Formats: sequence, C-alpha cells, structure tokens
Amino acid sequence: MGITIKDVSKAFGNFPAVNNVNLEIPTGDFVALLGPSGSGKTTLLRLIAGLEGLDTGGIFFNDKDYTYKTIKERNVGFVFQNYALFKHMTIFDNIAFGLKVRPRKTRPSKKEIADKVNELLKLVQLEQLANRYPSQLSGGQRQRIALARALAVEPEVLLLDEPFGALDAKVRQELRHWLREIHQRLNITTIFVTHDQEEALEMADTVVVMNQGKIEQIGSPEEVYQKPANAFVYSFLGRVNEFRDTEASAAISYIRPHEIVLRKISQGNSILSEVSHIHIIGSTVRVELRRQDTGALFEAEMSIEQYQNMTPIKRGDILFAEFKNIIVFDHHLENKLDHGGKIGIRNSLKSKLI
Amino acid sequence: MIVQELREKNVKANAEPDLLKKWALITIALGFLGLFILVPLIAVFSEGLNKGIELYFASLTERDALSAIKLTLLTAAITIPVNTIFGVLAAWSITKFNFRGKNILITLIDIPFAVSPVIAGLVFVLLFGSRGVLGPFLEANDIKIIFAVPGIILATIFVTFPFVVRELLPIMEEQGTEEEQAAITLGASGWQMFFRVTLPNIKWGLLYGVILCNARAMGEFGAVSVVSGHIRGLTNTIPLHVEILYNEYNFTAAFAAASLLALLAILTLILKSVVEWKTKKH
Repeated sequence: MGITIKDVSKAFGNFPAVNNVNLEIPTGDFVALLGPSGSGKTTLLRLIAGLEGLDTGGIFFNDKDYTYKTIKERNVGFVFQNYALFKHMTIFDNIAFGLKVRPRKTRPSKKEIADKVNELLKLVQLEQLANRYPSQLSGGQRQRIALARALAVEPEVLLLDEPFGALDAKVRQELRHWLREIHQRLNITTIFVTHDQEEALEMADTVVVMNQGKIEQIGSPEEVYQKPANAFVYSFLGRVNEFRDTEASAAISYIRPHEIVLRKISQGNSILSEVSHIHIIGSTVRVELRRQDTGALFEAEMSIEQYQNMTPIKRGDILFAEFKNIIVFDHHLENKLDHGGKIGIRNSLKSKLI
Repeated sequence: MIVQELREKNVKANAEPDLLKKWALITIALGFLGLFILVPLIAVFSEGLNKGIELYFASLTERDALSAIKLTLLTAAITIPVNTIFGVLAAWSITKFNFRGKNILITLIDIPFAVSPVIAGLVFVLLFGSRGVLGPFLEANDIKIIFAVPGIILATIFVTFPFVVRELLPIMEEQGTEEEQAAITLGASGWQMFFRVTLPNIKWGLLYGVILCNARAMGEFGAVSVVSGHIRGLTNTIPLHVEILYNEYNFTAAFAAASLLALLAILTLILKSVVEWKTKKH
C-alpha cells in the first residue's frame, strides 16, 4: 500500500504539531520518521493511523482518499510505544484479539484463529509463551508480541511508534535486525518513529528527518548523512562541532569529530590546539581540545587503532588539528538549530583561518 | 569480635524499646477500635436478641418492618445500577477525554461527600416540595416525589453518587487510553472495546465502588429522613424504621432491625476484603 500525505497540518491548541507536511511513501518501503521530541513525528504516525484527526490536508492510500476513513477502515497495524498489550489476556488471546472481534460473517473459525496465532508466534519466535500473561514477559518479548498482534489482522501498512525506545541496548540491536528481516519477508509498507539517528540510518530504506512539525529532508540513509539539506539535518544525524563567527556574518561552520585529524607535527592547514580530555569509549576515542587561537572547545574522534598507532598523547599536549571537511550553511537556516544541544561547543572562529 | 558483640548488644538494646513501643501502639489502636466499634456492634445484637430469638424474628417479620426492608432493597436496586452506569460514564469521560470544565466536573462529583446529607435532602424538598420550584407543576400533574418513594430514591442516588466514580478515577487514570486505542486499531467496535478491554481492567475497582455504594444506599439516614415524611409501611427505610421504633421505646424491635444493618456492614467488609485481596493478586 502506497501512502501519500498532502499538505497535512495538525495543531494541538496553539501548538502546530504537524505543519503542512507532504510525503510520498511507495508500497513496501521501510520508512523512519526521525526527529527530536516535539518534532511531530509521532503525531504524523497517528494521523496516518487515524488515531488523530487532521486539521487540513489529505491522506491517500494507493491514491484513494482515506482522509476521513475510520481507524478500522484503514486496516493498519499499529505498535504502541509501551506495547499496550491487554494485561488481562494471555499472549494467545492478545494475538487472537483482532480476529475474534470480527463480525461473525468474516470471523475465522476457532481452529483457523489458533493456526494463525501459532504461525505468528513462530514468526516472532515465542511459541512457548502462548499461555503466559504480558506481565510475565520481558520488554523485548512484549515488543515482539505487540508486533505479532498487529500483524494478525493482516494490515497493509505497519506503523510503529518508537518501537525500541524502552529496551536496553543489546535487545534493541537484536530487534532491529529481526524487524528488518520480518519486513523483508512480508514486504508490508512500514513506517516507524524514532529519535535515534543510528536506528533510523541502520534500519530504514528512507529516512524522513522532521523538526518543529516540518519535514527537513527525505532521502536514503546515505543521502541524508552525506548530503544534509541544512544545518539541522547535519547536526541531528551525528556528533558535530559548531563554530560561530561572531564578527562578520552569522554563518556557522560545522565539522564532524571524525573529520578532524590530530598530529604532533604541523602538516598543511592545521590549527594549534591543546588536549583537555581524552575519553576512551570501547572502540572509539574522543579527544576534547581547545583551540589556541580562539579558545574554542571542540571534539575530535578516532578509532582505538588510530589512537594506539599515534605517538602517545596526554592532557595538556599541544597538537595540530587539521579540519578536513568544514561545512557552512546559510544564515537563514540558523534559527532551525534547536536540537537540544548535541554538543554544546559554540564559539567564534575566524573564517579566514580555515 | 568485640566490635560485633558490641553491635549485637546495641541492636538488642535498641530493639527492646522498639518492640515495647510497637505493642503499646497496637494495643491502643485495638483497644480504641474495640471500645468504639466492637462493643457497640455486640450491643446491637445482644439488645436485639435479649428477649429471645422468637421476638427477634417476630419484630423483623412484622408488617412495617417488612415494608421497610422491601423499600430499602428497592432503593438499593435502583440506586446501584444508576450510579454504576453514570459513574462509569463520568469516570470514562474524565479520564479518556480532555475538555474544558473537567476540573469543575470533578469538583461537582465530590459535592455529595462535601455537603451534609440533611442539606442534600432539603435541596430536593426545595426543588420538588409543594412550595418548591417545581412543586406547582408536579401537583398539577399529580406526581408525588417528596414524602414518597421517588424522593427517597433521588436523595439516595445523590448521596451515593461519588462512590463508584471516585473508585474508578485513579484506576482509569493510571491505565490511560493505549489499550483502548490498540483494540480499535485491531478492528474492535466501541462496545467490544468496552466489554473486552476496559471493563476487565476496571472490574475489581468497579465492584469495590459498587459494594461501598450499596452499603451507603441501604444505610443512608439524613437525606432520606428529610424527604421521606416517615409514613409507616410506605416511606420508611430500615434506618428510619429503627429510629421510629427507638423513639417509641420499642428497644428490642429497634435493635433487631438495626442488627440487619449491622449484618450488612459486616458482609460489606468481608466482600470488600475479598475484592481488595483479588485486586492485589491481579
């Protein structure tokens, strides 16, 4: 099922949650709605499901107008952030719910329902849990049951709201792979909401970056990362150093920590910087530095191998930092830079020095 | 070693006064309860039974007593379904929707708890009594509310309204709307959602509210006393019947009738404990 979202707006009171959004999702696509909290991504998902009514615009499924169709008529599978499993029902009954509530004419027989439920339990690899209650399951298991329950009604669109938000890192990693596999097997148009750029880049075919109720960029994970449309997308998709030129124009220069090369000996266009901290985080090493010329703090990143291969460095060392890939966005995009301060390094940098 | 011994000694020295305090407090609490609740309860039954079991039953099966029991049961039988349905509706709209005046509605629900039942009764007299606002209209159409059964039922509904809502509000608040939304996205109709998802989630709280509502409906005195007119065999509920008998120095019959209410109270407490236990188990 292809979905078209046309000029859709939705406000809560005076707050424009979704502001004139246009989006085209082809059948079978795996889409991530990515953005900070309050960016309108969950509202957009709920608008597609029919859980919220829109103020203006239209929603089309396969080019048919679904704007005013009921939730039931849309035939979407929705997986809630906190799973919303029915506490008083067994796992079996939870999954069977969507089939049992069908009107008698279209309701499958008891045996057919049982077969379908078992098939889904097998799909989510939890056959042994049929008679348990949701409270007896772990977070990851609940998530998988919530997905099985949504799939039971054979939806043509699958919508997931922060599917892995409440899980620990290891389970999250497993479930990401598993959800991708399921999508590949069933090929249902799938849209999921996330605030985790890594999750979006890793899982989705298409990433939709949202901010303040608007879409900032739509593209493949590679596109949005390599060719960010504006400063917001650039800084939301990864760690970033930000240098503000306070004197001349209000242009801001950006560089990712891994694009900074540190050397003990001057080579080409380098800037003298003093090491103020070294963090070793598993396989990556982050070095905090202070520019000698402007006093601005910034961060450089390298792999543990690179770190081990260079002459040992310590706090207080003066190094030469080469900025390999500085990006400058236009001034008018600056006001969009409200992403909760990924890295709070804002300082002046004389553009002539770069 | 020495340190440990010292520590043990200390613990013992500390523990003994604590134990003393603990039992002193428990004794005071139990003594108070016994004096003010258990003794009167025993007195009710012993007074009712002290002229023999035959007289006890005779005073309960006498015509006016039977009619009072019937009226009490009738009142409860109407009040409880009404307050259950409207209680669920009110709790539902307060917890599942956002609207203006929500806080005013919550405050209104508490009014029956906040005002004296006598005032509640008077309000109905002022509304429906012969000199009341609607009095002339009612008289013209030959509808009797005050000094009649409808008035008693109205007053009882008013006084007992908050029990079910108050019990449901925190439960439904906590549960939110996600399970209901999930049911709808899975294709359930509104009724299917209510009976298969909402009701099972609130059933113990609801039952608890209904039990308390019933106890109060059967035992209500103040409001009912104002609107009833105390017509024997017609508008007397059990509490009113007890009062009349007592004022006539018919102690045995008064206490026999009172013992019915006391039994109801005990039954309510037992049911309440069972429900509480069940809720916890859930």
